Amino acid sequence: MQPQRNHLSSPLNERDEFMTDMLHDLLGKRLIFITGKGGVGKSTATAGLGLALAKQGKRVLIVETDTYSAMADLFSLKLSESRIEKVKQYDNLEVVNLHAEDALVHAIKQFVPSDRVARSVIGNRVARVFFKAAPSVNEFSILNMVRDYLDKSRGTRPYYDHVIVDLPASGHAVTFLNVPGTLHGMVRVGKFAQMCLELANQIKDSAHTAIVAVCLPEEMPVNETIELSEAIEEHIERALTMIMLNMVHARPFGASHDEIFGALREATPTKKPEELAEASALSRVIQGNALALDWHERDLIYIDQLEQRTSSPIIEIPMFYEKEGLRVIERVADFLRGEPGGGDTELAS
Amino acid sequence: MSDTSTIIHDPIAPLLESARLIVCCGPGGVGKTTTAAALGLRGVLMGRKVIVLTIDPARRLANSLGLSELSNTPQQIDLHENLERVPDSLGDGEFWAMMLDQKKTLDDLVRKYAPDPGALERAEQNNIYRLLSSTLHGMQEYMALDKLHDLYTGGYFDLVVLDTPPTKNALEFLETPSRAKTFFDERIIKWFIPSRRSGFFGRVLDPGSIVLKLLGRIFGETFVTELTEFFETLEFLQQALQSRGEMIDYIMRDEQTHFFVITSADPRRMKEALYFHEKLAELGQRAEAFVINRVIPPFDPDDLSEINSDAIAELAKKAEGLADKSVARAEFDTLREELEGTYKMLARLAVRDRDAIADLSKSVGAEALRRVPLLGQDVHSIEQLVSLSEFLTPSRPVYG
Repeated sequence: MQPQRNHLSSPLNERDEFMTDMLHDLLGKRLIFITGKGGVGKSTATAGLGLALAKQGKRVLIVETDTYSAMADLFSLKLSESRIEKVKQYDNLEVVNLHAEDALVHAIKQFVPSDRVARSVIGNRVARVFFKAAPSVNEFSILNMVRDYLDKSRGTRPYYDHVIVDLPASGHAVTFLNVPGTLHGMVRVGKFAQMCLELANQIKDSAHTAIVAVCLPEEMPVNETIELSEAIEEHIERALTMIMLNMVHARPFGASHDEIFGALREATPTKKPEELAEASALSRVIQGNALALDWHERDLIYIDQLEQRTSSPIIEIPMFYEKEGLRVIERVADFLRGEPGGGDTELAS
Repeated sequence: MSDTSTIIHDPIAPLLESARLIVCCGPGGVGKTTTAAALGLRGVLMGRKVIVLTIDPARRLANSLGLSELSNTPQQIDLHENLERVPDSLGDGEFWAMMLDQKKTLDDLVRKYAPDPGALERAEQNNIYRLLSSTLHGMQEYMALDKLHDLYTGGYFDLVVLDTPPTKNALEFLETPSRAKTFFDERIIKWFIPSRRSGFFGRVLDPGSIVLKLLGRIFGETFVTELTEFFETLEFLQQALQSRGEMIDYIMRDEQTHFFVITSADPRRMKEALYFHEKLAELGQRAEAFVINRVIPPFDPDDLSEINSDAIAELAKKAEGLADKSVARAEFDTLREELEGTYKMLARLAVRDRDAIADLSKSVGAEALRRVPLLGQDVHSIEQLVSLSEFLTPSRPVYG
């Protein structure tokens, strides 16, 4: 089912509950990779998606691979390296910040007879330097660990319904996802080759594995998402599952008021940002709305470009003007589930 | 709230005049590349020859400079062609930009240091070389540093502005000199290269062979053979990269090298900026300026109590188009409600930003901060870069 498109072209309070079932495309995907240029709100989208699925009763693990954990911050968690933690506020949602070195130890254990040997391998200076400095070892180890999370079971059922992997910024995402394929091309036989092949196939399998790009309606993120979409098709031979377009600005007022607002704008000279503090309250209100209208109109241009040049479904997530990161995540999650949720949290006076 | 906004601190202008290298780091999506370009351009308008080097794999600098593509060679941007009015301060200034093409850089490096002309061809047949040079990341940081080294020591440019990729990679980048040295560490290479002198027994007794065996077990014999070949072929690179690693360490520590953190006022980005600040300190460096992009104008929630429909109606009538029309009073009421709704959200952001900036100010000092207001449009022309640069160095207006 294709999610219904909406350009957020009416003010927030007038909008219908148009999102019927945006999660539908993802419910069948156990492995979900999330990618996007830095700063597009990738972590917020990841957390929001994880929470939305968890609220649907799914058990979800969010995997980060960065030294800086955004999830720890967003969910106020104390994450120790590579340890899975449950998010206190929500059932079914777990988070891990996976460190490459721990993933590597885990991978080596699969090749050597005992833990002791694995540790001595890591302890060997030469081997350690090799693993640390050689490219692609990190990516392989992380993907291998992700596979282990997927294989974990409770009784006859898998333990996690979804594993969501927050990938590095988009320029690197294709390289990252391409590692198993390239390694397999190089090492044709043996257990390692087999593992690479399985990982590569899993990444290519668009029926069970999702690749989601997070984007902003801005020039550079849109261009990069278009490049990313093409690169995934070229190198991984599959399509992006969907594009989550973050922080889309709704129209500040109904189009029927365009003429009056145009008059107000005409009658209020535009102030430079540094002069604005001295202006009248009304002119600040008008200038603020003019800015919001510009944002909205600019958003439409970029959304249009994205629609023209990619073929994946686009989900437009509105801008939520919240102070607390956790509130934003809750609202993104409610939005993805098609729940109207609460409005803006009142400003503390 | 602090009253620091009334004093104009300009930490950047004096550094742009004297620096030889400015490293821009910070979280992604905050306009880092654009800021790096604007900083570079401001240096150019002080009469300096400046090159902006971006190593990000995505083609951002190209976008913000309105160029379709940047190659691995420096490209000059003609200011006379791109600016309606070229400031007198341009003098002999030149504006250059370059984006790293990592595959080409490694090839260049091999060609440059190879003992014989066939080395590149031999290297290209090695699988590991092919992976390193085009597919697998991690290598581009080494290559970026090599280019940086060339540009820096080449003597042509007065100032190099280096744009680094976001968070994790930027930190890797700063740690690269020592990593590069380790990877090509002579002692490490020895384990992989069969010692010709000691022959068979030497190899068996060589502790490296145990490691080789183990690696062979994990990755397969083919891989280890390729790896050994790779090190054999590129042995000559080791010397070059090691000395460059040391040289770059030295460049990074030079007193004419400055680190800037670029961020936005969003509280999450501010936290990341602080993380950079701490990480730099761990590496023995210090950020000398924090550029805070996209600061929301001073929208104030209290303004809402001061506006009413009458004032809006009165103001609207001042405009020519609406002067003769009669508009129902109810129209103004509904419009006012909508305007208030939007403004309330903007004011919320403004308050949030102001608090986040105050927090950062407490940690790094108000005088290191430079605020750039949120501009209504994207920056994609040189003209717009000049306007942006005005906010970066407020004590020296570009046009006098």
